[in-house]
Amino acid sequence: MVHIRVDGTAYEVREGLTLLQALDDLGVLMKGVDIPHYCWHPKLSIDGSCRMCQVEVEGMPKLQIACGTPVRDGMIIHTRSERALAAREGVMELLLVNHPLDCPICDQAGECKLQDYAFEYGQAHSRTREPRRALKKRVELGSTIILDQERCILCRRCVRFCREVSATNELAVTQRGDRSTIETFPGKPLENDYSMNVADLCPVGALTTRDFRFKTRVWSLEEVPGICTGCSRGCNVHVGVVDHEVRRYTPRRNDEVNGTWLCDQGRMTYREIGAPDRITEPAVRGNSGQLVGATLDRAIGRAVELIREAVQKEGPGVVAALASAHATNEDLAALRGLLRALGSETHAAPVLTGSSDALLVRPEKAANAEGARVAGFGEPGLLFDKIRGGGVRVLIVLGHDVIHEQFLGTPEPLAALDGVILLDTHRSRLEQVADVVIPGRHLAEKGGSVTNHAGLVQAVPAALEPTFEAIAEAQVLARFADALDVSLTDEPERKREVD
Amino acid sequence: MVSPAVRAAIDEEIAKMPEKRGALLAALRLVQEERGHLCAETIQEVAEIFELHPAEVMEVVRFYNHFHERPQGRHQVNVCTSLSCALRGGRGLLRQIQAHLGIRAGQTTEDGRISLGHEECLGACGNAPMLRIDDAYHLDLDWLRTQQLLDGLE
Amino acid sequence: MGHRVPRVTQYLTEHFADEGFATLSGYRARGGYETARRVLRDQSPGDVIRMLKKAGLQGRGGAGFDAGTKWSFMPEPHHGPNYLVCNADESEPGSFKDRLLMTRGPHQLLEGILIPAFATGAAMTFLYVRGEYAEPARILRRAIDEATAEGMLGSNVLGTGFAHQVVLVRGAGAYICGEETGLLESLEGKKGQPRRKPPYPAECGAFGRPTTVNNVETFCHVPHIFERGVDWFRSMGTDQSPGTTLFGVSGHVERPGVYELPLGTRLDEIIFEHAGGVPGGRKLKAAIPGGVSMPLLPAGHLDVPMAGEFLRERGSSLGTGGVIVMDETTCMVRVGCVISEFFRDESCGQCTQCREGTGFVHKLFLRIERGAGTAADIDVLEDVAGKMEGATICAFADAAAWPVQGLLRHFRSEFIEHVHTGKCPLPDGFEL
Repeated sequence: MVHIRVDGTAYEVREGLTLLQALDDLGVLMKGVDIPHYCWHPKLSIDGSCRMCQVEVEGMPKLQIACGTPVRDGMIIHTRSERALAAREGVMELLLVNHPLDCPICDQAGECKLQDYAFEYGQAHSRTREPRRALKKRVELGSTIILDQERCILCRRCVRFCREVSATNELAVTQRGDRSTIETFPGKPLENDYSMNVADLCPVGALTTRDFRFKTRVWSLEEVPGICTGCSRGCNVHVGVVDHEVRRYTPRRNDEVNGTWLCDQGRMTYREIGAPDRITEPAVRGNSGQLVGATLDRAIGRAVELIREAVQKEGPGVVAALASAHATNEDLAALRGLLRALGSETHAAPVLTGSSDALLVRPEKAANAEGARVAGFGEPGLLFDKIRGGGVRVLIVLGHDVIHEQFLGTPEPLAALDGVILLDTHRSRLEQVADVVIPGRHLAEKGGSVTNHAGLVQAVPAALEPTFEAIAEAQVLARFADALDVSLTDEPERKREVD
Repeated sequence: MVSPAVRAAIDEEIAKMPEKRGALLAALRLVQEERGHLCAETIQEVAEIFELHPAEVMEVVRFYNHFHERPQGRHQVNVCTSLSCALRGGRGLLRQIQAHLGIRAGQTTEDGRISLGHEECLGACGNAPMLRIDDAYHLDLDWLRTQQLLDGLE
Repeated sequence: MGHRVPRVTQYLTEHFADEGFATLSGYRARGGYETARRVLRDQSPGDVIRMLKKAGLQGRGGAGFDAGTKWSFMPEPHHGPNYLVCNADESEPGSFKDRLLMTRGPHQLLEGILIPAFATGAAMTFLYVRGEYAEPARILRRAIDEATAEGMLGSNVLGTGFAHQVVLVRGAGAYICGEETGLLESLEGKKGQPRRKPPYPAECGAFGRPTTVNNVETFCHVPHIFERGVDWFRSMGTDQSPGTTLFGVSGHVERPGVYELPLGTRLDEIIFEHAGGVPGGRKLKAAIPGGVSMPLLPAGHLDVPMAGEFLRERGSSLGTGGVIVMDETTCMVRVGCVISEFFRDESCGQCTQCREGTGFVHKLFLRIERGAGTAADIDVLEDVAGKMEGATICAFADAAAWPVQGLLRHFRSEFIEHVHTGKCPLPDGFEL
């Protein structure tokens, strides 16, 4: 460890880091120690070209870039000295020489570092009367990202990302000097599983996602911490909400889980929240054999009836549950608690699997696959055998992964049961065999905890209320317990350290 | 496809360097000498030889003045316009050449004979004004001599 | 003046009139390679570095860093080779000495490479020749082949057991590749964008290995120092800047060309005595002492010895020793236009101040020259040049800023005249 002083405050920092790295490591960068920067990013190689992070280091005649200056014991740093501020003002003026200053129509307005720092360090008006550099305003780099070359400040974060993180190399800076532009090679667009991260990385409005572009002014967005539900990595996200609608996921930094990244597929799972195929009202299978809309009370009543009848007729062993690996730990605990209270231990969780990569994407395609396993919801094979053998009469199902081709493939095998009680967020063919359908809430709507593949339990608050009436699955299950006059003794999984 | 002869020459350049990529500029020069310019397909071929993404090769091609992505004339005429030459009429010479050929610097004559350019200091300041035709320097020029040189190009 | 009056000796260019000097046999007939043979056979790398430090040879590529000190930064080779790089990317406008050294004395350069190669434990020298220098490259390639065939290069250099190879690499047209780390990037097949330092090349240079980069002329002095000794070398030039150097004189002079003269020779002597003064009876207006990156000096300031320590007192620097002379017809705003155009075109585009500043400065010069400028534009010009200086990865932005500062320091009135009259007061000057 070495000791440094920054603007009069002493810090003990790890040796071998540069000043910005050390401050980031301490968690004080831009949270107490404000050293503005464009090209530096904690998860990318040091570039050192934007020159915005210049600071004064005692004993060094020239200003130093904080991103590239190794900390040394006894170093005394001034981030707001007259010289440092003047240098930043100089960088700002020159950055704005060719910038289009089109903030009113720029998507980045409100979260633009150029805009932010211009307020702090910029001059009131530009001194150049010459025409600004005319470049391409709308370059489709690939299917997900649009580039505005005029707004680009050439920090090269996106280029470094494609070389160092996605390792796909699609982006390049071509030409020299003030003619430099970000380009792709003809016929080789920016197409990789992480492409949209470049829009998050872009400190200005040069790179925008086709998905979010022009949809929302950033200042009307409420950003709530969330967890991506695309796989068992449990990537931390900001859930961007406007008027009960999620408009985007952006990565929320968590060095233990996802660093500062998010895969494109996971990012786009936000669309599931406002999808048109959400189950929006409870339903009960009527005498005609059709599902008929019902009140929640009625649906719960019917579900309880089915459970009670089965238990009375054939004992508690014939009630079983198939949990979803998307369910929160709270949902799973309630489900296990209900079964246990009834006297059944027949439960499982089908976890869909798919492709994975070395960076973030996990093969288990549900946020809480590990939570389900830890809660005792094992693989569903034995349960399926029991269903086929007639040993199950009533099945409580959370989610519809079970009819995916990796499992039953079809709802058919469940048709013979006396009762199928479905708690789900999205419509599926499972409704064909369901006797009771109760709408569920997405993680972003109910909050709760999920356990990622490494055993890390992560809790998030609800980010928004659904536009229809629905209560969390755990609460539905608690109402079942009440009506059945049993108590849910099971405690939810406690927060556990990563193995 | 890169011809076997050029491919062999590229391999020879690669063998000289501690790392393969060190021969990239030499390879681009060799390929351009054979093809006249470096079109997208050619860049992609070179990228394959060097196991690079073509965007990385494109970036190199566009950084250096001597690589051309578009077809060039049979001769490259480059006039030095840096200060030492400018003081002795280098820029006037370029203007006269432009008028004579009917093209601007950066363009190629319609007959494909000459691509005209202006270049930064060519290291012949003691013989200003001067120009470069392909690889050869022509020094201490006046308009008469320049005209003879241009008109003598096939 | 604190410098000695030198006896004129032209050791670098002594045999350049002799065409045979460029061949191996001609070079050997003049005793060539014997100094290297003796040094490699009889001296240790440590001895060599100590002797060169004593000689005080300053790098001749523009920065003037002490060559022996630079060599001493090199670690002993371990876990892989050390490299040497010869910077033959001469592209500073106004500089044309290295082209002469390469075409007329290629073996002098190769012998000059062998001694520091031995001293720094380098396995290989990359001789990086700018792309435009086709003829020097051809001559050097032939010299390398000859020297390799005759055992001056290769696995047993001059029978001493030292192994060394020289690989010629050609640039492709980019001024910034003359900056030593830009050169290293280019050598590795990348864009020639200078690297952040630290790490310095002696720690992590070409292909990640310890590397020393020296200019062509710097190498060429080395065999002479080891042949005739430190005292001989220090008998020329000034205390701080010993030896001769090649001054390239261009622009408005009677006899432009390369002149080998002791460091410390007065600038007015170079211009008037050696280069024959300004032609046509016109008066001298200003001169740039060392390539366009260096601030110019007005006519009254030319009585300065051409050595770093004296030029610094005048607010300029020796640079590459490329002297550019301007007569009284020269419009200084136009000079600014030409110089700033060069820096705009050649900025690699990494650092903000340089990328944006070079273009901004060029626009301002053009605006003032066209007569469309205001007094405020002159202040902005000065201010932007100040913001570009000393704040970037490499010295290119400084090099772009210094000439602006020099022009404004000495010829501000001419700029003011442009903005007041709304036109150029020297319409008959050189064409823009």
